[in-house]
Parts: sequence; structure tokens; C-alpha cells
Amino acid sequence: MEQTDIEAESAFGFDGTWQEFAKIAFPNLLLTIVTLGIYRFWATTRERQYLWAHSRFVDERLEWTGTGKELFIGFLLVLVLFVLPLSMFSFVQQALIARGYEAVAAASTFALFIGILFLTGLARFRALRYRLSRTRWRGIRGGSNDQGFGYGFSYSWKTIVSYLTIGLLFPWSMTSLWNERMRKMSFGPHEFDANADSANVFARFLLFYLSPFIFFIGALVAGATGALAGYGIGGEDGAAIGGIAMIVGLVLFFYLGLGLIAVAFYAKFYREVVGATSWGDLRFSFEASTMDWVKLLIGDALLVVFTLGIGFIFLSYRHWKFFMTHMEAGGEILLDDLTQSTTATAKHGEGLLDAFDIGAI
Amino acid sequence: MHDDAFQLAAQWYDGHNAVRHEGVAVWDGGQSLSLTSPTSVMDVPFGDLTWGEERGGEKVYRRTSEPDFRLILPSEIPPGIAAHLPAKATYGAWVDKLGLGKAAAAFAAVSIAAVALFMTAPEWLGPRVPVSWERNLGDAMIGDFGGRMCSTPAGDAAMAKLLDAVDPAEEQVRANVANIDMVNAVAVPGGRVMLFDGLVQQAETPEELAGVLGHEVGHVRERHVMTALLRQFGLSILLSGANSGVGDTVFGLASMGYSRDAEREADIYSRARMAESDVSPLGAAAFFERLGGKSSSDDDEDGDDADAEDSVVGWIASHPGPGERARAYRKAAEGKSFKPVLTNEEFEAIKSMCAEDPDVEEFEFF
Repeated sequence: MEQTDIEAESAFGFDGTWQEFAKIAFPNLLLTIVTLGIYRFWATTRERQYLWAHSRFVDERLEWTGTGKELFIGFLLVLVLFVLPLSMFSFVQQALIARGYEAVAAASTFALFIGILFLTGLARFRALRYRLSRTRWRGIRGGSNDQGFGYGFSYSWKTIVSYLTIGLLFPWSMTSLWNERMRKMSFGPHEFDANADSANVFARFLLFYLSPFIFFIGALVAGATGALAGYGIGGEDGAAIGGIAMIVGLVLFFYLGLGLIAVAFYAKFYREVVGATSWGDLRFSFEASTMDWVKLLIGDALLVVFTLGIGFIFLSYRHWKFFMTHMEAGGEILLDDLTQSTTATAKHGEGLLDAFDIGAI
Repeated sequence: MHDDAFQLAAQWYDGHNAVRHEGVAVWDGGQSLSLTSPTSVMDVPFGDLTWGEERGGEKVYRRTSEPDFRLILPSEIPPGIAAHLPAKATYGAWVDKLGLGKAAAAFAAVSIAAVALFMTAPEWLGPRVPVSWERNLGDAMIGDFGGRMCSTPAGDAAMAKLLDAVDPAEEQVRANVANIDMVNAVAVPGGRVMLFDGLVQQAETPEELAGVLGHEVGHVRERHVMTALLRQFGLSILLSGANSGVGDTVFGLASMGYSRDAEREADIYSRARMAESDVSPLGAAAFFERLGGKSSSDDDEDGDDADAEDSVVGWIASHPGPGERARAYRKAAEGKSFKPVLTNEEFEAIKSMCAEDPDVEEFEFF
């Protein structure tokens, strides 16, 4: 019986290089431009083939078997099923308004909002299902037999509840939705399980949630003190300088400080949900600290800015590498037990996800 | 007889479980590859193999008959076997066949042609849409305009007479005065023309109204409305229905832009009909001159202002320069005599029809 103990070293590894990736990314960019964007489905597929093939889980590389054609078909389906009806919808609204039914037009806009929320949840579910079903490891794939409609419903009401509680229930909705989504997924014969607990991330969330208030009060005090001190030193001008210093401080806080705290929350959230996820006897963990995330994001920004935007083609590479190098797993896999997944596979790709522009991970 | 050149190390997965088989692939000169390991023995026909991918010094092949089967061979494959294995694919069939450069050029040419077709489609498609389709579409979009059309028996009769002068066709457009206090007139989808009450109040003679009405009828007859509608629809597809701002929609309809050429065509149509009906174009000329006098702005100003004075500028903004138009209308009047298009009573009936219609709805800005 073949058995693999994976405690020895990291279960996940990545051996791609950006130079090799560039040989895929630049032709992709060229072909995407000359085809007015249509090639991007094939471009995505080629990128994923490279990224998956250079990612190792235990002792074997991953393989991406998705095709550009199925992504394209998914996109066309979304175009016909959602985008065209939506532009028709704006004509219907014009008609309603022209006839004086403003209330009906407003109500239909609200219904549209709910519908889009549902579709967003559905898209997130379908995207993960699609990616698992197109990933091969030792010839075995993943997937789900769930269509995701239940998840779309959960996503809608949990998001609305979060908003109704002025955001306080966001950690709960995020973790419970993660659990719900992962539990419906499987790889090979084993289902994933997830028991993320929002209590573990709530403190970080409160930090994010309350810091604007705390900082605002602090800034008022500091600003007043600064203005007073400035007045003491330089009269009216000094007071103005003190006040300006406070405004600069506030702006810095909102763009950098709050962003940093948001990253801190997200880092903690990601460690919690991945750490609470298991597959068979394997437990996963994600080892990226807040600093790691900050370095990733600052690196992204610098890369894009200093290449006048062209660097954006390397972002998917950077993010995947970040993901693979920080993923860990521990436990045992019985390879003889790992039989092929029996889940159904969809013939089309991530159209919905693509239309709503959401990342799966 | 086994030659080393025809034997190489191989790994494979059968696609049913995750057990890796490590052994050798042997080719005996026939049409298949024999895979032998302590755990698995199988024959794989070359014809069943397809190219998978290249990864870190290895080549991966798949099987058509067994979708999750994977055969992993080293990158250096003896030529004898390599000749039988499926060729490497990089981009996908089309690009690989042509080469990256040629394929990019071909795609670019097709793209440019498609863009040109899409951009010009409204101009050649618009006039070919049957009038009855446009009428149905317009009725679906506009309906009765929320009861904002003014109507009195005397006013309707006067409007009909005015319309007869500029629209002699068998099936006339539908012309109304809309209870909107803006100096504007629009041709909307469905062969319908609306003079806004603000413009009617500004008019000093019925000939001025005839000039404006004739111009808007010209837009309908020259199929500019359908062209503009198609252009707007194409834009909304491009923007994926991004123009969902509810408040913009009525203005969107009202300010559906026409090209300068279209405006000139509509003017030419208007002058031709007025000449046929012996209606003086001097009224229209005076109207444009008055508008031009009030406007100090250039022609590019955006005309969304709701204020009546400012919207005079708005009507001018979407049309050719008023001075140029006034000259064209004056020239059309040279050496001719005309008869009045409406009596004073009829003109007054149009002017007062919004005030006297008890059922008309107010127009409100959102």
C-alpha cells in the first residue's frame, strides 16, 4: 500500500520563474489586444497551465485541464443570459419612466440589486467548482455535485444581514459562507470540510471597525493641541499649519492606516478559514503574516507603477506564487484510497465569475 | 529484439486512482507503446495519445479514450519514438499553424474590420429597419409619454394643419406639444415628433413652429431616429448596460444626438416641404437669429440645463450654428411670396393648449 507522509517538508511548492512566465504573458497581451480581448480566455488558460504545472503538492505537480474554449462559451452564455437582458431592462425602465411609472421602475431596480447579489454568490460558488474540476493531481480531479443555487441564496441573505447590522456581522457572514462553500466541494473521493469560527477573527475586525472613530477622536485632540501649540508658536499662521498637519494626518490614516488594518484583518481571516479547512485526514494552513500581505501588495503597486502599467500581467503570477508558498498541509494521504472524483463536470467555464469580476480565492 | 534507443523511463497514472506507476515505455516498431511497471502493464496506441503539456523537464501526454490517463516522459525522447508521438502545441491550433506574428496580424486585420462594421452599422442599418418596426418599438418605449402630451380640440386641429404643411406623406408622423418647460423639440422613436411647450411659448409666429416641426419631421423621414437608436443601443452593449442611471433616461431620449450632417439633411427636408406648401422660411430664420442672439457660448456647450433661458443654448448646441442656418433659410425665401401657415386664432390655440388641457401631467425632474 502506497502511503505518503508529508510532515517532512512543506506540502506545497512552486518552482516557476517570472522570466518563463513572461514568455507566456507577453504574447498573451499581444494576442489579447489584436483580438479586442477575445483571446483573454485562452490567455488565462495558458497562464494557469504554467502556474499549475509549476506548483507541487507533496510529490507531484498540479495540472490545469481547463480550456480557453469553455471559458469563452461561459462568457457567451453570460452575455446571452444576463448582459443582453440587462440592457433590455434599461430600455424597459426608460419605457416605465416615460409612462410615469417611476415607483415601478424604482422597485424593479431594487429587484435587480437582489438578483445581482444572488448571481454574485452563485458565481463565486461556480468559480471554485470549476477550478477544482479542472485541476488534476496524480490524475485525480475535484468538483462538486451541488449547483450552487443554495449558496447563492445564503450569500444574498447573509450579505444583507451584514449590512443591516451596520457591518458588525461581516466576519460571521464571511466565515460561514466559506464553510458552506468548502463543505460542498470535494477532491477525488473525499469532501472538504471547514469549521472556521468568526469569533477568532472578530477582534481584528473590531480593530478595523472601530479604528476610524478612535483615530478621529485622537486626531481631533492632537489637531487641537497642534493648532494650539502652533498658535502659541506662530499665532494665526501657526494654528493654520497645525490644522493642516491634522488634515494630512487624517488623509494618511484613511489611505494607509485603514488599508493596513484591513490587510491585517484579511491576513487573519485567511489564516483562520484555511486553517479550519480539511480534506480527508489532511489539515491545511496558510502561513502568510500581515507583513507578507503588505509586501505582496506594495510589490504589486510598485511593479505596476514603475512599468507604466504593463507589470499588471505579472500580478496573477505573483498572487499564485504567494498562495502556493504560504499554503501548508499536514496529515496522511492513502494513495490507494484516492479514487477518481465522480462529481459532474460543467462544460462551460467561469463566465458568471468573469462577468462580475471576482477572484475565486 | 530490444534496442535501448526505443526504450525510455516513464511514469503514468491510470486516471482511476492516484497511484503512480513508474517503469519503462517500450516501442517495438509497431503502432503502440508498451508500458511496463511492477504495478501496471498496458499497451497504449500512438493514435490514442494527445499532447498535454511540458513541465519542468518532462512531457505529459493524455489519452483520448481515457481522459484522466497521464503519461509522463522525459523531455529528451529518441527520434524513433518522437516521430510517432503527437506534436507539441503551444498556443492552440490557429496560432500554432500560422506562427505568432502572422496570427497576430491576421487577428488585428479581422478586428479592425469588425470595429469598422460595428461603428458604421447604425448608418447603413438604420434606414433599412422597416418603419412599422420602428413604430412598434417607439410605442413600447414611449407609450403616451406619461400623459404629458397637451391636447385641446382647437389646438389639435391647428397642429394637424401645421403638420400638413411640412409632412405631406400619406402616413404622417404623430406631432404633439409636450408639457415640458424647455426650449426644445425632439423626434423620438416610433415616428413621433414633440414640440416642448417652452419652445412653443418662445415662438412669435406660426412659421417659426413650422420650421422647427419640419426639421424634426425631417429627422423621422430621413431615418435619423432609428440610426441614433441603433447607435445608442450599440453603445449600451459596449458599456454592458452601464447607462442605468434612471434620471438620465428621459434626457437620454430627448438629447439623442444626431450628427451635423443629419441636422443639415433635416433642415433641407424642412425647407423643401415649406417651399412646396408656400410657407415662409423667414419665420424659422428669425427664430434661429433670436436664439443666436441669446447665445454667447460656442457650439460645443452641453445642453442639459433645465432652465428655460439656458436650454435655448442647449437646442443650439446640438445643431449647426444658428447664424449659418438662418442664412440658409433666408436664402430659401428670396424672390418668393408666401401665405400664412396658420391663422392667429390657430396659433393661439397651439400656444394655449398646454395651459387649457385639464388632464395633462406636469413634467418633473428626477
